[in-house]
Amino acid sequence: MVSLLRNQKVRNALLQVLYVGSLAALVLAGIVIARRNLADQGITSGFDFLYKSTGWDVNFSLLPATANDPYWWFFLIGIINTLFLGTIGLMLATLVGTIVGLARTSSNELAQLLGRTYVDIFRNIPLILQVFFWYALITHLPTPRAAHEAFGMLLTSRGLYIPFPNVGGVALALAILAVIAAIALPVWLGRTSRLSQPFGERSAIQLIGAAAALACAVLILIIGRLPDEPFIDFPALQGLNLRGGLRIPPEFSALAIAIAIYGGSYIAEIVRGGFKAVGKGQMEAALSLGLSPWRVFTLVRLPLALRAMLPILANQYVWLMKATTMGIAVGFTDFFMIVALTINHSGQTLEAIGILMAGFLAINLSLAAIFNRINKAIALKGNQLRG
Amino acid sequence: MTSTSSKPGGPAVHIENLDKYYGTFHALRKVSLSVERSERIVVCGPSGSGKSTMIRCINRLEQHNGGKITVLGTELNDDVANIDGIRREVGMVFQHFNLFPHMTVLENLTIAPVIVRKVARAEAEATARRYLEKVRIPEQAMKFPGQLSGGQQQRVAIARALCMQPQIMLFDEPTSALDPEMISEVLDVMVTLASEGMTMICVTHEMGFARRVADRVIFMDGGEIVEEAPPEEFFTASRNERTRQFLSQVLGH
Repeated sequence: MVSLLRNQKVRNALLQVLYVGSLAALVLAGIVIARRNLADQGITSGFDFLYKSTGWDVNFSLLPATANDPYWWFFLIGIINTLFLGTIGLMLATLVGTIVGLARTSSNELAQLLGRTYVDIFRNIPLILQVFFWYALITHLPTPRAAHEAFGMLLTSRGLYIPFPNVGGVALALAILAVIAAIALPVWLGRTSRLSQPFGERSAIQLIGAAAALACAVLILIIGRLPDEPFIDFPALQGLNLRGGLRIPPEFSALAIAIAIYGGSYIAEIVRGGFKAVGKGQMEAALSLGLSPWRVFTLVRLPLALRAMLPILANQYVWLMKATTMGIAVGFTDFFMIVALTINHSGQTLEAIGILMAGFLAINLSLAAIFNRINKAIALKGNQLRG
Repeated sequence: MTSTSSKPGGPAVHIENLDKYYGTFHALRKVSLSVERSERIVVCGPSGSGKSTMIRCINRLEQHNGGKITVLGTELNDDVANIDGIRREVGMVFQHFNLFPHMTVLENLTIAPVIVRKVARAEAEATARRYLEKVRIPEQAMKFPGQLSGGQQQRVAIARALCMQPQIMLFDEPTSALDPEMISEVLDVMVTLASEGMTMICVTHEMGFARRVADRVIFMDGGEIVEEAPPEEFFTASRNERTRQFLSQVLGH
């Protein structure tokens, strides 16, 4: 017996059994206690509530929604809203971050100063304050009757109204897909023709592919237009309110701007770090071969900097995706707010929070998986000597 | 754009009273040097003596603060067309190879001919393979730099510079970052290049190479050219105290 306890393998196995056993006991105890408490309060647990109608409404939805729709439909709307806000926010943050990051790495001292000031200010103010700031700013814009107007767009305290084609929902969705294809197609074609076009020359096929997809989008919009309506719907004042066009509500704008500005300050630092990580030697070699500064940037500096940035960028994107939960602060019905409303109205706290966690886990794990794949695909081969 | 191609005759590189400062540090002090076509120059000297700075000025990786540099009859000044033209005709090999790690060897070799010289891709690849043959690594064309040894990488770097068909080659300590057993494979390529009449300016501490190949050896110290002599005279009958001290340290063991 003593000798068995002194056996290293036996000891390790015993520790494992103890560890798994106590963990299982803990989880089991939690479930039992929760069930008893729920029963005491007369709450039935389970996911049946998902099929009941909510009885309340959402203020922002890309899908048709009424108070008669069931909870699962609202969860779906919430996830789509979160993804929509997250995607727009991430794209804007990346744009802002790239510009500010490049300004910080530029040799122009004024640009450096502006970039540094930007990062210092917006990185150090809590996100929720920034959300409130933009929300307050937007809701204090003039009323619809005194709206600011530019290019047919109207800026008011009730949101930004932009002219929009009068088309059916399906046609709109198809047209958006076609536009995405127009962006993705040249990239995909470029990837498969890498051997013949390694220096990023635009081949005719790529241009034709993009043009064809864009033409498709326009065609879909024309075919799918609503009969007896003008093709483009301009917003206009009718009585006290604005009619027509597409309204971007203040809640959404405030969140998107806040995520773009706050996230941009973090991404700027990632961009700066990525460019700093590129060896000066590679750029000197490219210059000494007679490549123009622009070519050195696009063919050597940028591709190498991107490789250095990507892992940290993925991290930041996951973080910003979670920041969409600020929606509840200004009343934007993102996933988190839908879950919070569900808890208030149905009392199914544990189930709703479980769905919330599973939803965010799925979103962020997918994001991480996509970035891991890209990372692996473009990783530098062999050992790297830092010059 | 000015045609840089070489007015016939005249020196390949002519440097006159070159001054270079880093902040207040005076890195080059009134350096003058003239290199004829097909001439092989070896530049040596202790670290910090300005030898790298001098050759980096020749293709404008460093901007000089005073004096005049003329390369193949074109003056190196703020005129971008002149700078581009000179860089097309002057190849450079670096201490740390500086290959593009995200491109294959073949892409490293063809990028500049295709984009700068507008050579057709097929032609550029044929030239690239010919130069890989010349540096004795034709089988590595589709590999990435990180998959090669240091010596192989440096030979790719030499081939990359040669693919632009330059008239002058600058070498900035090409063997200093290599393991001892790889030095000779790189030097062999440089010796072949010299025997074919390439104009070469080499910063190196390989005194055997200097003795074998150089037409002139230049010794720099403290940002000045201290001595300038044919290798035989330089190694055996140096008149300068600093040169003799440096040589005893380099050849000492």
